[in-house]
Amino acid sequence: MLRKRILVVCGTGIATSTVVARKLEEKLEEKGIDIETRQCKVAEVEGMLEKVDLIVATTPVPDNIKVPVVRTLAFLTGIGEDEAIEEITKKLKKRGGNE
Amino acid sequence: MTFNDIISGLGITVLLPIVIFVLALVFKINSKKAFRSAVFIGIGFIGINLILGYFLNNLAPAAGKMVEFTGVNLPIVDVGWPAAAAIAFAGKVGLFVIPVTVLVNFLMYAFRWTNTINVDVWNYWHFAFTGGLVYALTGNVWLGVFASAINSALVLLLADWTAPAVQEYYKIPGISIPHGFSAAYLPIAIPLNWVLDKLHFDKIKSDPATIRKKWGIFGDPIIIGLALGIVVGFLGNMKDLGSIQAWFNILKLGMSMAGVMYIFPKMVAILMDGLIPISEGVREFMKARASKRKFHIGLDSAILVGDPAAIASAMILVPIAVILMVIIPQNQILLAVDLAVLPFMVVMTIPVTRGNIFKTVIIGTVIIAGGLLVGTNLSPLFTKAAIQAQFNMPSGVTQISSICDGSNPLSWLIVKLMNNGFSIAILIAIFFLFLYFYKKYEKGWGKIAGASKEYLEKSE
Repeated sequence: MLRKRILVVCGTGIATSTVVARKLEEKLEEKGIDIETRQCKVAEVEGMLEKVDLIVATTPVPDNIKVPVVRTLAFLTGIGEDEAIEEITKKLKKRGGNE
Repeated sequence: MTFNDIISGLGITVLLPIVIFVLALVFKINSKKAFRSAVFIGIGFIGINLILGYFLNNLAPAAGKMVEFTGVNLPIVDVGWPAAAAIAFAGKVGLFVIPVTVLVNFLMYAFRWTNTINVDVWNYWHFAFTGGLVYALTGNVWLGVFASAINSALVLLLADWTAPAVQEYYKIPGISIPHGFSAAYLPIAIPLNWVLDKLHFDKIKSDPATIRKKWGIFGDPIIIGLALGIVVGFLGNMKDLGSIQAWFNILKLGMSMAGVMYIFPKMVAILMDGLIPISEGVREFMKARASKRKFHIGLDSAILVGDPAAIASAMILVPIAVILMVIIPQNQILLAVDLAVLPFMVVMTIPVTRGNIFKTVIIGTVIIAGGLLVGTNLSPLFTKAAIQAQFNMPSGVTQISSICDGSNPLSWLIVKLMNNGFSIAILIAIFFLFLYFYKKYEKGWGKIAGASKEYLEKSE
């Protein structure tokens, strides 16, 4: 799979999104998936969508976004991380197929 | 060399990383990760110090000229939550805040006084901040540590209190929000909301999407910075508007402020990055020791801030805050960096008002007005804490504050009560009274924080 770009979104763009970005890099690398993460806050989402394959957010994201969104707190609570990674991997693979 | 000499000599960019490194090892994090984490924290501080210095060096003289020419007396510079957090962690109380907060949480959970396990280590800074103010006030580190402990204990209760409402409204089961800043406004928001309901203001509906479109520009920190810099520059150069250099200065100040608004939080992100392994270590440590009893995982209120009603309310509050800043005579704070942080002020009010933007904005206005007065009042201590934490305060800058924790009513209350033995006893009494009445009327309290009867009954 080509390198995927994930946009990590939270309320401030620096608090929880930093935690999630690091975790994604670590866990997806273990699965052999090459990703590049960018972080932003919710208010900036619409302007940051170029070439983004997936959005992972810890906070609600506007409905009208064309990119698939996974909203999860699993990386913050430590509960359900594996399931979240599964869902993210699935969605990334789907995006890959459409290119 | 005495112990104190070593602490002051090393400075925070070396000391805190050492403390964090040791803590990381205690929580069984592997030494390579722990080392990297520790270094990042030091780097974060260096970055913050750089930006803070740049910010104050650029804005303060312009603000001073503005005062001279317009008589608008706002000599206290709002340095924002990034600076407040850095000052909190960099102070002597900051060195203790992580183990002390974990210990307090652990004990309170064991005594069944709280169901929240606060894994949001980053946000422990709010408690260290209160402690830092008390240390600046009393000169006694242990009183500061005690203040931070009581702050964290009270916030745990506030988190439990709001948990059903927050879980129901934001659809996040199992979570609570022990956030030192967001949770502090609940005791103010609840009675205000009651009054507004009596006035039937809850009948006034507004649509978040429309508000976002119309007011969206107030949500962008870069725009806020640009506008602020240009306005302050303009007012400060009113006498020289004939000269082209004055206009150059105005534009340059606009860019400086826009830059600060964007870069400052990025520096803080470096610091936060360093804290991640510790945060996970604390989380796993507490989860492993939690009994079968249900618990809420305490997280950052940043996970709520995406709510459309919260964003819309915060956007409207930005111009309101600027107006309040000018018209309230006792206020001396020049709002700046923290204009971007208003969503955090209202996130926990939203479940109380059931997402009603109109009511939230009114409550927010009252909170900000009060906050400006509190911030003005706490500014001397805030400034002293910054100097004690060895931050780069350029000469000629008199005072700093922040509308975030510098104006936090809970911090203010604790600081005022830590003044003497008698009032400390009152503070302790407040905690136990809160605990007692909350436990006794848990469901009723949960309802007034915004939860519905059905949800409360379901979670029994």
